[in-house]
Amino acid sequence: MKLELLKGSRTRILAAVILAIVAIFVVRLFYLQVIKHDYYVGLAKAEQESRFVIPASRGEIYAKNGTDPVPMVMNETVYTVFADPVTVDDKAKVVDTLRQVAGGNVRTDFDKLLDNKNSRYQVLANKLTRVQADKIKAVNLHGIGFQAVSQRVYPEGALGAQILGFVDTTGQGQYGLEGYENGVLKGVDGYLQAVTDVSNVPLTIGNDNISVPKQDGKNIVLSVDRNVQSHVESALAAGLQKNGAKKGSVLVMDPTNGKVLAMANLPTYDPGNYGQVADVAAFNNDTVSAPYEPGSDVKTYTLATGIDKGVVKASDTYNNTDHIKIGDITVSNATLGHTGNITFQTALTWSLNTGFVTIAERLGDGTNITKSARDVMYDYFHNRLGLGSLTGIELANEAPGTVIAPDDPSGDGNAVRYSNMAFGQGLDATLIQVASGFSALVNGGNYYKPTVVDGYMTDSGYKQNPTPAPLRANVVAKSTSDQVKQATHDARATSFGKTDKAGYYIGGKTGTSQVIINGQYSSTETVGTYLGYGGGSEDAPRYVIMVQVSGADQLLGGAQDALPIFTDISNWMLDYLKIQPKG
Amino acid sequence: MRDRGWSERPSSDVVRRHRPDYMIALYMGILMLVGLVVIYAIGPQRANVLNNAIGSNYSDSYFFVKQTISLVLAIIAFGAISIIPYKFIIKHAPKVLIIGLVACALLFIASKAGLPIADATNGASRWFNLGALGSLQPAEIVKFGLLLYLAVFLGARSKEGKVNNAKATLIPVAIITGLSLLFIVVIQKDLGTGIALSAIVITMLFMAGMNKKIGIGLAVAVLVVGAIFIFTAPHRVERIVTYLQGDSTSSATSTADSYHIEHAKIAIGSGGFTGVGIGNSVQATGYLPEVINDSVFAVLGETFGFIGLITLMAVFVALLLRMLKVLDHLVDIRLKLLVAGVFGWFGAHVILNIAAMLGIVPLTGITLPLISFGGTSMIFITAALGLVFQLSRYTVHASRLSTSGESTHEDSRSGRRIGRTRYASRRSS
Repeated sequence: MKLELLKGSRTRILAAVILAIVAIFVVRLFYLQVIKHDYYVGLAKAEQESRFVIPASRGEIYAKNGTDPVPMVMNETVYTVFADPVTVDDKAKVVDTLRQVAGGNVRTDFDKLLDNKNSRYQVLANKLTRVQADKIKAVNLHGIGFQAVSQRVYPEGALGAQILGFVDTTGQGQYGLEGYENGVLKGVDGYLQAVTDVSNVPLTIGNDNISVPKQDGKNIVLSVDRNVQSHVESALAAGLQKNGAKKGSVLVMDPTNGKVLAMANLPTYDPGNYGQVADVAAFNNDTVSAPYEPGSDVKTYTLATGIDKGVVKASDTYNNTDHIKIGDITVSNATLGHTGNITFQTALTWSLNTGFVTIAERLGDGTNITKSARDVMYDYFHNRLGLGSLTGIELANEAPGTVIAPDDPSGDGNAVRYSNMAFGQGLDATLIQVASGFSALVNGGNYYKPTVVDGYMTDSGYKQNPTPAPLRANVVAKSTSDQVKQATHDARATSFGKTDKAGYYIGGKTGTSQVIINGQYSSTETVGTYLGYGGGSEDAPRYVIMVQVSGADQLLGGAQDALPIFTDISNWMLDYLKIQPKG
Repeated sequence: MRDRGWSERPSSDVVRRHRPDYMIALYMGILMLVGLVVIYAIGPQRANVLNNAIGSNYSDSYFFVKQTISLVLAIIAFGAISIIPYKFIIKHAPKVLIIGLVACALLFIASKAGLPIADATNGASRWFNLGALGSLQPAEIVKFGLLLYLAVFLGARSKEGKVNNAKATLIPVAIITGLSLLFIVVIQKDLGTGIALSAIVITMLFMAGMNKKIGIGLAVAVLVVGAIFIFTAPHRVERIVTYLQGDSTSSATSTADSYHIEHAKIAIGSGGFTGVGIGNSVQATGYLPEVINDSVFAVLGETFGFIGLITLMAVFVALLLRMLKVLDHLVDIRLKLLVAGVFGWFGAHVILNIAAMLGIVPLTGITLPLISFGGTSMIFITAALGLVFQLSRYTVHASRLSTSGESTHEDSRSGRRIGRTRYASRRSS
């Protein structure tokens, strides 16, 4: 450009000033944009990039309705309504709309919160349904926002609460399946790393955005049958009503595969309102987390061990004097009078302790519970049938219980302990352990790992887990299993058979366990249990039911207090499973 | 004068109207288009930011549409002023200044009376709120009026040779400037416009032939008055402090202004050599304050990079130098002063805005002319350019201006008579 500015003109000075200043600008720009470019890109990134979590949705939990899955725990999106008081321009309209649409969900005095112009975030209402939120959105209010929150809902209410557990406010599963399978149910959150605007809204600017998709949690289908569960819960409640016991637990499982069909404890709670539970003990699933001395139920184990080792048959006899001396202690029968030469079947039927101490002695040298006898008992009770060790059931807070080994360094695994163990004392086990071991005793001798998970709901529908293989096959011989079945059937038939439906094959064993309080067996408190099975014939037991009733300072008996609940459920199961009677 | 030939007649008598300098219109158009493109690109983000921050309800196209309307009005103003004969404009110069000052007074009264027509921002009323018609900033009228009036006044004094006379020239100029600054800087608290106005006056004084002694005195006076203004207003002290603290970004010293400058630098710096491209500005999504007004240069830096800014500045410089060329080749001192004033006005805006964005001088809240979003200032600056455009029709050849009378230009020795267009037979358009 030819300016033709005059010599000596002041315009030349102005032009020089402008060019000089612009030259400074160019140098400065070069410094900022070229030399310090990386530095400023770093500053820009530091403030512009944010990472957004894309929350995975938690897996749902289903139970079975016969063979079809039905929802037990689902997710529901609820909305929190919040306001930015600074940008709310029509307060009256906001208040009116919220009152009309969400009158029950608004916070008290929410209209006053809107006046707090120093705040830019005020929660006005909680837990609105989608319909409510959409209605408010349609009004198009200024300064009002919505936040979607996922919460658990329980279509079946409190049914199976202690199997399910709950999800706490931080999104972590607690107790039950929610606690044990938290990782599986939770899934993996995805994230988006993106450049954002000043209000942290991600932008699609640039090529540095990273998006990792979320992985939703798996939808678990329980082996629990909602109908069995429902009946079990009401039968247990009715039973406790009748016998006055403070606590009760019932476990129903399929002995042929270890699948739990129902699991109930009283008192229980409502997982939808877990926050209002006064005594957190209600969260515990006692069937897996409360070991106790199982008592006479274990006599079936002792009998099975004896039979399997070939030292006794149910029809073998021994001399019952109602007392038996082991070392310096004397074991007595709870029921006296069946003295003389009696069969072990009689000992089982009347639950005579001496018979089972005798079996333990016969596992040894005939008169002493020798080390080898104790080793055998430990092998059967603990190693083969799973007492005193975790079963691995998919429920939180499972307790292992205790079975003291013969070579325990404390020296407590002596003959006295093993004489007690022969009739179910001196060891701690949970209902799930006892019932699982018993299942092996009646199913032909195969131990299945107890499970509450039957499969998963996928996008393409229900995917059942493969039929479980025994965890330990042939823990007792089939003939042993047959004999135990027969013996328990006879034991039940002798006294209680008339309460069962005719034509079915039901067997079981009562248990009345003394409770150790402060290191002593209490005389004022006993736990009543009943452990049994049922089916159409001796070849095909279809269910194992274990009932336990207890309470502080309550003397509860297996026959009087637990057995009626078993009978109720057992007879109902025969109908529900449409089992054909034999003959 | 008949006894003398063409070449010896006083030059001012023979200046003929010829083609204007279209480059002025071209550069102005380029800058306006750049501004429109930027507003188009970042307007939606600006609307979004404001909607979130203050709950307004601007549509995505709000700023673009408004800027387009402003540009149309500005082009009309440019056209009008370039057609209305400058003699008419000069004749009515005092009236424009008086209208501007009266408007400022009215605005002051209206704001004291709490009338809604006076738009209040930052505790000061700067605009008349005209509802659907938009808003009007009377300070711009004052600026334009002062430009016209001083051209006439200083032109007359210059012809009399009394530019450096205190009583005849300097005191009246000081009074009229002081009155204007009183309204603009003290009452309206608009330092940016005040500086622009001062730049107009100083450039005009400079071109009118103010001598060095007075120039130094004036510089001292400006510094003193400037210091008084600064230390009587806390927000100006803050700006100075921010400036002196330089690059500090620690939260302890992070004021609104240091945040502003820091983010202007981040925007410019992250643009790099070639920029991030149109529509990819992230700083415009709310990080950078005043993004479509004072900070538009920074967004341009982010978007178009070093190359883009250099090119942009080249256009600004070209336009300013064109003005100097017109200035230099005018004969009538009043017209020279008019162009000088516009040059000072435009130049002050460009330099102070860019310098602030680069962190070289403190923020003054001054816009980048022709590019920043804004109605009134855009219309008045284009009107001023329209005046220069009109005056560019009246330039004469350099040789005619030679004070020594000894032009070295070859044409001066040719047989063609100077003072006519080269193609005298043609009508100039």
